[in-house]
Amino acid sequence: MRQSLVRSVYATLVAAIVTSWSIAAQQPSPTQVTAQDLRDGLKNPTRWLTYSGDYGNHRHSPLTQITPANVHRLTAQWQFQTDTLGKFEATPLVLDGVVYVTGPLDTGWAIDARTGRQIWRYRRDLPSGLIACCGLVNRGFAVLGDRLFKTTLDAHVVAISRKTGAIEWDTTMVNYRNGYSGTTAPLAVRDKVIVGVAGAEYGVRGFIDAYDAQTGKQVWRFYTTAGPGDAGHSTWRGTDAKAWEHGGGSIWVPGAYDPELNLTYWGTGNAGPDYNGLEREGDNLYTASIVALDADTGKLRWHYQFTPHDIWDYDSTQMPILADLTLGGEPRKVVLFANRNGFFYVLDRATGKLIRAKPFIQTTWAREIRPDGRPMLQPNTVPSEEGTKVCPDQTGGTNWMPPSFDASLGLFFVTARESCGIFFSWKDDYTPGEAFRGGAVQRLVDTQSSSLRAIDVATGEKRWEFPYVNQSWAGVLSTASGLVFAGGSGNLMAFDSKTGKNLWHFQTGSSLYSGAITYMVDGRQYVLMPSGTSLTAFALADFRN
Amino acid sequence: MKRRALVLAVLTTLAIAHAAAQDRRSASSEPRPTKNPLEGNKLAISNGAAMFRTRCAGCHGPDARGYLGPDLTGFWFAGGSDDRMFDVVRRGVPGTEMPPADPQRVLDKEIWQVLAYVRTLAAVPPAAATGDAANGERVFRANCASCHMVNGRGGQLGPDLSRIGAGRPRAGLHAKLRGSSDFIRPGYEPVTLVTKEGERIRGVRKNEDEFSIQIMDARERLQGFLKSNLTEVTLEKQSLMPVYGPDRLNDRDLDDLLRYLTTLRGTNAKS
Repeated sequence: MRQSLVRSVYATLVAAIVTSWSIAAQQPSPTQVTAQDLRDGLKNPTRWLTYSGDYGNHRHSPLTQITPANVHRLTAQWQFQTDTLGKFEATPLVLDGVVYVTGPLDTGWAIDARTGRQIWRYRRDLPSGLIACCGLVNRGFAVLGDRLFKTTLDAHVVAISRKTGAIEWDTTMVNYRNGYSGTTAPLAVRDKVIVGVAGAEYGVRGFIDAYDAQTGKQVWRFYTTAGPGDAGHSTWRGTDAKAWEHGGGSIWVPGAYDPELNLTYWGTGNAGPDYNGLEREGDNLYTASIVALDADTGKLRWHYQFTPHDIWDYDSTQMPILADLTLGGEPRKVVLFANRNGFFYVLDRATGKLIRAKPFIQTTWAREIRPDGRPMLQPNTVPSEEGTKVCPDQTGGTNWMPPSFDASLGLFFVTARESCGIFFSWKDDYTPGEAFRGGAVQRLVDTQSSSLRAIDVATGEKRWEFPYVNQSWAGVLSTASGLVFAGGSGNLMAFDSKTGKNLWHFQTGSSLYSGAITYMVDGRQYVLMPSGTSLTAFALADFRN
Repeated sequence: MKRRALVLAVLTTLAIAHAAAQDRRSASSEPRPTKNPLEGNKLAISNGAAMFRTRCAGCHGPDARGYLGPDLTGFWFAGGSDDRMFDVVRRGVPGTEMPPADPQRVLDKEIWQVLAYVRTLAAVPPAAATGDAANGERVFRANCASCHMVNGRGGQLGPDLSRIGAGRPRAGLHAKLRGSSDFIRPGYEPVTLVTKEGERIRGVRKNEDEFSIQIMDARERLQGFLKSNLTEVTLEKQSLMPVYGPDRLNDRDLDDLLRYLTTLRGTNAKS
C-alpha cells in the first residue's frame, strides 16, 4: 500500500514535469520578438523595438506619465558610461527591461533598463584601413526573434545573441577596402533584415540588401545607381561612361515599412563625385531620392527624386515618416519627408506622386518644387573653381537626426538648420577606396543657426519654433502627453508640443548626435538620451508606483 | 616543460605582434616623399588652388600672404622644405587654430596638390623687416600688456600673444591695431550682460548655451550666469581691444611694435 502510494506520487510528479516541459516547448520564449511585435510598434510602451519606435518612423510614444505639468521634476536616474570615443549617433532599443545600444567603433551593450548596469558588452575586432567620411559611428541595432542585428564599419551585417552578445552569423555585404562601410541601423521586416551601405564620398555604388534573419543569406539587392539594363540608366550621361559604377547613393539611416502595401521606403544618398557633375550629366537615378521597394523581392515599385543631378551633397538620408492624413477632404496615405535640400515634402506613398513641397529653411539652390515634382532651379548655383554661394550648405536643412510626428496634432517636429556655403568644384579621378568628392565647401559661419521647428503637415507651414544657440545635430521624440524632447548645445530639452514653450532642460556635457527614446519599466516612465560617451536615463523624481 | 610552454607563448605573442605591425604597415600609404611629387604639375596646381580656397584661404588669405594665419609665401625662402610643410598640414599646429588634416578625409595627394599651388605663389622674397623690437617691447608693455600675456607676463582678457609672430603676418597685426580688421578670436567676443538688479557686466564670452553664458569679466574674473537671471545679453561686434589710430600710436612706434610682435614665436612660452 505504502509502496503503491510512493509509486503513484512519483508517477504524478514525473507526469507534471513532462507536462510542464512540453508546455514550455510549445510556448515561444517570452523574449522572442515576432514580426507582429514589430508591426505593433509602440503599442506596448515597455518596448522600443525599432530605430524610430515604429515602422512609420513617428518616434511618438503613447506614454503619458511625464507631462507638461510635471516634466520640470524630471531628474537623472542612472548613467551608463560607454568609454568609447566618437559620435554617439545610435538609437537604443528596449525590451523586457533591457536596453540594447550600439556605440562608435563597432561596440554594443545590453544594459539593465532600471539601473544602468551592464549585462554584456560586444566589441568587433576591426581591421585596419577602415574608410568612413564622417566618423566611425553606428546608428543602432534591429531586433527580431532572440537576435539583434547590426551593420559594421567593415561592411558586414552581423546577428548577435540577445542573451550573450555573441555573434550568431556574420555576412560580408561588400569589400570595405573599396570605400564601403556599414553605419545604418538595420530594419527587420517579417523574416528579413534590410540594410544598406555608406560611402558616397568614396565612389561606391550604393545598394539596399535584404538578408534572411535566420541564416544571414542574402535574399535580394537593390542598387541605388541604375546600371545597364535598369530603368533609369539613361540618367547617367556625361564624359564618364562608368559614372554609375561609382555614382554614390549610399544608405546610412534606416527606412520605413508599410505592412499593408508590403513596401519598404528608403532615402538614398548623394551622387558622387559630390560637387562635380560634369562626368555624370543627367538626373543620376536613384541618388538623392526615396525608393519604395517590394519588401519580399526588392523590386522597385516607385521612386521620387528630391534633388535630380545632385551637386551639393544633399543626401536624402533622412527619415521617411508614413502617415494617414486628410488632405483637401480626402484621406491620403502619405510619406512626410524633411529633406537635407531644405524642402518639406508630402508624397503619396502608394504611387510616389508629389502632393506638396515647401521650404522649411532658406534655400537658394531651387526656387520651388513644381507641380510635376521637379525643382525649379535658381541660376548660378553650380559649384565652380572660383566658388559659388548656395544655401543650405552641404550639411543641409536637416540631416540624419530623426524627426518625430504627432498625428493627433498634425505636427512634424524637426531640427531645422540654416546655413550657406561657398561650393568649389574640381576634377577628381576615381580610385577605389579613395575620396571622390570633386570639390569641397567653405561653410559660412555667419549664416549658421538652427532651431526646433513644428511644421503643420496640413499646410506645410511652420507652427512654432525654438531657436538654439548653436547648430544642433539632435533628433526628436514626442509623447502623447503633449511633450517634445529635443536639444542643442548638449542640452536635452522638453517642450510643450502645442506651443513650443521650453519646459525643462538638462546639460549632458557633450553635443547630442541622436534622439531620445522613452519606455516604461515597473510602471515608471524613463526618457533615455545618448550623449558623448554616456547614456542617461531620466524619470520623475518623486514618482511612487 | 613549463618553461618550454612559456617560451612558446612568448614566441607566439611576438609573432602575432609582428604580423599585426606588418598589417598596419601594409595598410598605411607609401612612405612620404621628401620632395613634392606634384610640383609644377598643371592639373595638380589647378586642383590645389581650388582646395586652397576652400580649406586654407579663410585663415591664410586668398593669396596665401596671411590674414588670421601666417603668410605662407615666404616659407620656402626661409628654408622650409616640402616635407616639413606637408607634416604641418597633416598634423596641424597644436595650441593654435591650425587643425590637423584627418587622413580619412584628406588624402596625401590632396595635400601635395595644395602645396604645388602654394609653391607657385612663393616667387617673391618676403619684405625686409623694419622697426626696433626693443622699443616695440616698451610700447607693448605700456599699451598692450594689461590685456595680453607674453611668456607668462601680462593680462588675460585678450589672447596670449607669446607666439603671435608665428601665427599672424605683419599685415594682419597692422590691420588689427589700426582697426581695419573686425576679426575677433572665438572665446574673446565682447559681451554685455545686465542682471535683474540692473548691474551691467562687460567681459568676453567663453561659452554659451540656451540657458546660460560663461564670461571673463573686465576684472578677469571667470563667471557663469543663468540667462533667467539676466535681462539682457548683448554680443558686440566691436572688439574690446581699442583701435590704435595714429593719434594714439604714431607710425614709428607702430612699426617698432610690429617688429617686436613678429619676433614672438613661442620659444620661451610655457607649453
